[in-house]
Amino acid sequence: MVALQILIDGFAISSLYALGAVGFTLMFGVSGVLNLAHGGIMVVAAVIGWLAAGDLGLGVYLGTLVGIIAGMLCAYLTYYVVVRPIQRSPAIPHEETEIFVLTGTLLWGIMIQEAIAYLFTDNPVTTRPLISGVTTIAGVRTPHNEILIAVICWVVIGLLWLLVNRTRAGKALLAASMNPRGLTLLGFELSNMYLLVWTIYGVLAGIAGVLLASFLGVSSANAGQLTASAFSIVVLGGLGSVSGSLVAAYLVGYLETITAYLVAPTLRPIPALLLLVLVIYLRPQGLLGRR
Amino acid sequence: MPMSCATPLSTRLMRRLLLAGTAAAALGLVGSAYAAEPIKIGVIGEESSVAGASLTKAAQMAADEINAAGGVNGSKIEIITYDDHSSAADAVRAFQRAVNQDKVKAVVATYISEVALAIEPWSARLHMPLITAGAASTDIPKHVHDDYAHYKYTFQGWLNSAFIAQSICDAEHDMLVGPYHMRSTVVMSEDAAWTKPLDEKFLECLPKAGLKVLDHIRFNPDTTDFTPIYNKIEGEHPDVITTGISHVGVQPTVQWHDQQVPIAMAGQSSQATTSSFWKDTNGAAEGVITATASAPGVAITPKTVPFTEKYTKRFGDTPAYVGYSTYDIIHVLADAIKRAGSTNPDKMVDALEKTDYVGTIGRIKFYGKNEQYTHGLEYGKGLVTGIDIQWQNGKQVAVWPANVAQAKLVFPAFVKLPQQAASK
Amino acid sequence: MFAQIIRSRPLWIGLAVAGIAALLPLWLSAYILGILTAAYYFGVFAMAWDLLFGFAGEVNFGPTFLIGLGAYTAAILDNEWGLPIVVCIIAGAIVAVVGGLLLALPALRLRGPYFGLVTLVAVLLLQNAIVIFAGVTGGEIGMTVPDVLSIDATTNYWYALVFLVVCALILFGLSRSAIGLILQASGQDAIEAQALGFNVTKHKLAAFIISALFSGVAGAMLVFYLGTASVDQVIDIGIDVQIIIAAVLGGRRTILGGVLGAIFLIVATEFLRPLGQLNTFVVAAVALAVILFVPDGILGYALRRGERQ
Repeated sequence: MVALQILIDGFAISSLYALGAVGFTLMFGVSGVLNLAHGGIMVVAAVIGWLAAGDLGLGVYLGTLVGIIAGMLCAYLTYYVVVRPIQRSPAIPHEETEIFVLTGTLLWGIMIQEAIAYLFTDNPVTTRPLISGVTTIAGVRTPHNEILIAVICWVVIGLLWLLVNRTRAGKALLAASMNPRGLTLLGFELSNMYLLVWTIYGVLAGIAGVLLASFLGVSSANAGQLTASAFSIVVLGGLGSVSGSLVAAYLVGYLETITAYLVAPTLRPIPALLLLVLVIYLRPQGLLGRR
Repeated sequence: MPMSCATPLSTRLMRRLLLAGTAAAALGLVGSAYAAEPIKIGVIGEESSVAGASLTKAAQMAADEINAAGGVNGSKIEIITYDDHSSAADAVRAFQRAVNQDKVKAVVATYISEVALAIEPWSARLHMPLITAGAASTDIPKHVHDDYAHYKYTFQGWLNSAFIAQSICDAEHDMLVGPYHMRSTVVMSEDAAWTKPLDEKFLECLPKAGLKVLDHIRFNPDTTDFTPIYNKIEGEHPDVITTGISHVGVQPTVQWHDQQVPIAMAGQSSQATTSSFWKDTNGAAEGVITATASAPGVAITPKTVPFTEKYTKRFGDTPAYVGYSTYDIIHVLADAIKRAGSTNPDKMVDALEKTDYVGTIGRIKFYGKNEQYTHGLEYGKGLVTGIDIQWQNGKQVAVWPANVAQAKLVFPAFVKLPQQAASK
Repeated sequence: MFAQIIRSRPLWIGLAVAGIAALLPLWLSAYILGILTAAYYFGVFAMAWDLLFGFAGEVNFGPTFLIGLGAYTAAILDNEWGLPIVVCIIAGAIVAVVGGLLLALPALRLRGPYFGLVTLVAVLLLQNAIVIFAGVTGGEIGMTVPDVLSIDATTNYWYALVFLVVCALILFGLSRSAIGLILQASGQDAIEAQALGFNVTKHKLAAFIISALFSGVAGAMLVFYLGTASVDQVIDIGIDVQIIIAAVLGGRRTILGGVLGAIFLIVATEFLRPLGQLNTFVVAAVALAVILFVPDGILGYALRRGERQ
């Protein structure tokens, strides 16, 4: 009984982790940017979605959509206000660009977090479940919403896979991650590529944010933790490897769930962190990453 | 013969002049006293938390009232607020700034125990009267008891955890054991300074109240996923979950509701004492029982309801539990300064110890030097006990003690009760 | 080598400024002295970071890992066993150095963004460890230590100032010494440096250890100044960013610039205090603007202008 419970709960939380991590790693893989404002963008999507659904009276479904769009817009803002200016700045030597982008996005993330805390307090917001009520699967009582969230995550990941592997734009993205200069030689505009990847990233982060608000609830205080979590999973799986992030997300999600159920709720994050330490020492490029 | 006729004109004139002169002098004195230095009180709160924000608002309201009535010993009260961002280190800095830069005469601070414990030693080092507004750790008065000479400047303005737990045990006995025949419970609390003595007391008084404690679960204050915890609790089949939560509140409540955990929730849930809780949980708060200072419409003393109404009118939200206590604390401070006739720290401490003031939370007195919780708020019938409320249809309804109860308990449909209360 | 150091202009200007700073307690209020005290400790954090980055070319995204180790070791030792302050600080330094070694050994093998990421992950790990063992460490909100360096603001100020000057002299001296030049070479072109026969890894490791030592001691001293140790003061990504900003603002690869940047940052935060909740937002925004528009920093810009003349 407990085993089935763990299986189901672990699956739901892992799917949510996966969605967040996939966007993060895609961003790095294609454009070399480690966006440390990731958690902030998720929180923006969550809070705007909650606001739209409740205070603006749009209801759950429309509100969720508004939240996702807000996430996407926030991602654009991140690109145009922070990342692109740093990448193009003549005053920053080329080998230091990455560091400045990291620091810049970190600062931007802090700004987002503080702005939300100021406007909405750091109280967690929860959106109403997309589908309310519970169902019983082989004796395990599960909210409908939890099942829906897992399904949505996989649909989105599936769509992403289709995009990257079956469409022209998607294949160009993949090429850009391997050889940006080669791509320009073929006549592709790199700036269009970057716009595309930021759009995809924004939508992914937005969906992850609103789903999190619906499943567990989100507050501005979570922004840092969400970034840290996505980022640990991505390092574990291998920077730039989407399949690595998926595997790592489920590894971490299940490790956490098993610990919470079978050991103690207080020790929940430990096994995943220990795994991370181990991987850093033994295989720093991650489980499925390339050196 | 009548005296007045025999009094010479000069004497009458002299007497009148003397009277006029004295009156003028008195007016002059009073007038100059109004132009005197304001008495500054530092208030350290947590602006980005719903509970912490009501601290500073209530303090300002109390100060405005006192000033409108003429101030204290002729001086106005000036509230200087600080935001400690829920951080002990920021609170220490704010405290130092209040004392060294802004020259306050007293500090009222925080509802977080870890923060209160961080500034308590500074209150001792800098000889600055400090009254905590909501922090419940029993270590706060214990430090005063163990080293009175140094720590005597600190007072605790709300009930400590041991008394909160006792109050909850009494409430659960009256409300749940009797009418609903509940026999068992699981204690679920966040791992924080204030819950250690809370849980200790729970484990002692709950069995005496008639509830066997089946398990005792402590979780990380930054837990976001409560599913494993609820599943574990459900596997043990208690009749009620007794909570000790303050840092979290929205998420466990929403998840309790969404997962339809079939067990009632009661105890202390600080976030549930704020009026925005219903909206924050999208109504998942229905049926949640929590201990608190007061609620709209509940008249613990004749001052309670007027305060609640005035606060709500001015700020748009009902006060959190720490709002009631802070409002009273400012009045208590003003009263002590008045009786002491000065803002000298040692004299203020003496005057505070003799406090016997009826505020919104009850009759406020502090324990003395030789009692266990020196300078803690006195607990008991006729003093301060707190009340229990239950969220019903978007409103906080008082359900305990019997003399302030506004309605009977109502539980959501998914909660399984051992026996429905006999309808009365 | 000594001659070169003594002839260096920034050094003399720095000493003159330090002299003036020592006299400030005659005029400034206790509270402002407190702000400067905190700024001086922050200055040491920034200088230690610049040694690693500016000279060894390694971006440490988690200086608070080292600072936190020093700080919490000292705090726990004082809280649990009441050891004298000096012992606690030395213990903090040792733990920070050990931690630095444990971090550096695997991390220095990595290239590209991985090193920075690993240092960031180290901070997260330490944060989680502190929160999980909340019983001993006070968890998220922090713990109090029974002893402080001093209650008197002026005394605290002088402790901090002397500490800052000593650290500045040592770190600056290192940066201008033979070791410093090798570090600079390793940072800018490791292959060349190795070709010239220098053991790059050994030198970078040394830089890491020195950085750890200073960070650890400064962290411990900060705790005994504040009387509290809390995660968001000494083990926080936000603080990491501020340290990097301070060093960048002051001028990368100048060591002394870190002090300028730290003072500017802390004074600015204090200045913006009336904004209440929003002051973190504004400071972050200003820092972002600095990165975007003046990445060379104050001292960097000044030195460059000086060179051109």
